[in-house]
Amino acid sequence: MPSAARRFGDASACWFILPCLLALAVTSLYPVGFGLAVSFTNWNWGSQLDYVGMANYADLLADVEFWTVMRNTIVFASAATGVEVALGFYLAVQVDKLAIRTDLLRALIMLPLMVSGIVVALMSKVMFDPFLGIVNHLLGLLGLGPSAFYGAAATAMPSVVAVDVWWQTGFVFIIMLAGLRGLPIDPIDAARVEGAGEFTIFWRIKLPMLRSLLVTVVIIRAIDTLKVFDIVFGTTVGGPGLATEVVQTFVYRTAYSYQQIGKAMATMVLFSLLILAVALSLQMLQRRGEAGR
Amino acid sequence: MSAIAALPRSARIGARLSLGWAYLFSGAMVLFSLFPVYWVLATSLKSKRDGLASPPLWIFDPTVANYLKLWTHETFRHTFLNSMIVTSAGVSLSLAIAVPAAYAIVRMKVRGRDIVGVWLILAYMLPEFLFVLPMFSLYQWTGLYDTHAGLALMYQVHVLPLSIWLLSSFFREIDPAIDEAARIEGASHWQILTRIYVPCTMPGMVATAILNAIWIWNELAIALGLTFSKAQTVTLGVTSFRGYAALDWGAMTAASIIAIIPMLLFAIVAQRHIVKGLTLGAVKG
Repeated sequence: MPSAARRFGDASACWFILPCLLALAVTSLYPVGFGLAVSFTNWNWGSQLDYVGMANYADLLADVEFWTVMRNTIVFASAATGVEVALGFYLAVQVDKLAIRTDLLRALIMLPLMVSGIVVALMSKVMFDPFLGIVNHLLGLLGLGPSAFYGAAATAMPSVVAVDVWWQTGFVFIIMLAGLRGLPIDPIDAARVEGAGEFTIFWRIKLPMLRSLLVTVVIIRAIDTLKVFDIVFGTTVGGPGLATEVVQTFVYRTAYSYQQIGKAMATMVLFSLLILAVALSLQMLQRRGEAGR
Repeated sequence: MSAIAALPRSARIGARLSLGWAYLFSGAMVLFSLFPVYWVLATSLKSKRDGLASPPLWIFDPTVANYLKLWTHETFRHTFLNSMIVTSAGVSLSLAIAVPAAYAIVRMKVRGRDIVGVWLILAYMLPEFLFVLPMFSLYQWTGLYDTHAGLALMYQVHVLPLSIWLLSSFFREIDPAIDEAARIEGASHWQILTRIYVPCTMPGMVATAILNAIWIWNELAIALGLTFSKAQTVTLGVTSFRGYAALDWGAMTAASIIAIIPMLLFAIVAQRHIVKGLTLGAVKG
């Protein structure tokens, strides 16, 4: 830190950062504290408000529906993150080879990212319509299908995953392409002179250098897909049955339709712990990878 | 191509094949990204009969009837306007708060800087309904429920962390020797920030504002939880067409296209900024 900081001390720094702390306190500290307290009650938004201890947590952990919802969320997040990272990274590697200006191509591939989740959801309802949708029509031309998509328990989850893949693969692509373009050219040229093939160069030189960035992208996508709400809310609303119910749609239903705010907050607290655990373990993986090199 | 020519014959064929595949695959992915948007646009331009034709029509008489109908749809127009207000308010608020905060974090001695850093990550990372449900009751007590101001404030939980990460990395690029010199001339921190840092990082400010605007414009869960009618945003306006899925594709697809357009304009005008912001955000976050 330059000496200027030392000379002028903390007094004005406090005023610079105070609005930020206030805004964060109101929008995150207060709700987390209040929500944590509510999770130990049977509050129904109204006058009913009794302390029930750990009852909400105990009920949730014994509830088959809760575990189904958790499993659905994890299945969705793993599948969507896995496909998006693999596809986005592979695409970045391919585009990196092209000998043309790729600005337009990049803009077109990131187009889905500009679309809101709810619009993506409604678009998919038009395209996945079992009777009149274009996707079943195209599948028919290939001699496949028709599929019920959102209409059947077996195909509903894969359909939602496919929609997320369409929506978010561009994010992985943009980040990994920037990573590939930012690699130092010298070690790669040196390897090429030594007679290494493109395959070897990718696996032995480029991938190890991009490892940390790749894990970062996995963390971002994993957290984002665990929090999925819009595309489920806009398509299946959790159905058919509970086939696609995920934590945030479950909580929305519990809080706003059933008015069980204590139970909803207990779910959110447990879910937040899961997200923290996922983020921390992935970050440890990243640290270990960096230390190992 | 000269790099390929220098290779031995068998490797040359391999390199050509690999390059050909790269073009083919990239092209296919562009098609994959564009086709749904094209198809929904086409559907929005079909008459009701053409829209529900089986098999789906590739060639049809385009009509703007669905858009005209949407224009007279009072509620949808209202939500579009609300989103413009909330997005501008949310973005302005986030910059007003994040610019001094990022400056303080980068160039001033802030006690507990690491705690602020962790707090930002948590606020950004934790799920929306953890915040929204408790805020629902607070907003009802304080009268912020279903208002533009309440919504713009709540969006800070997500846009502030991102803004501070992005702005700090732009501010770090400025040579600290410049503020030393300005300090010696008698400039205050506030003057250094507004006269040097803000003008020097204008492109970064724009990138930050655009990413925040896109996020707020597209957000659903918070708006769903904290508005009812007066302040409903365009994502909720679009959601209200969800039930029409089987009946009126024209209205639903036209509403979708209208909701996308402002963000598409952003994407076209500011592609570089968005890419820069996304990339930096990923590296910092």
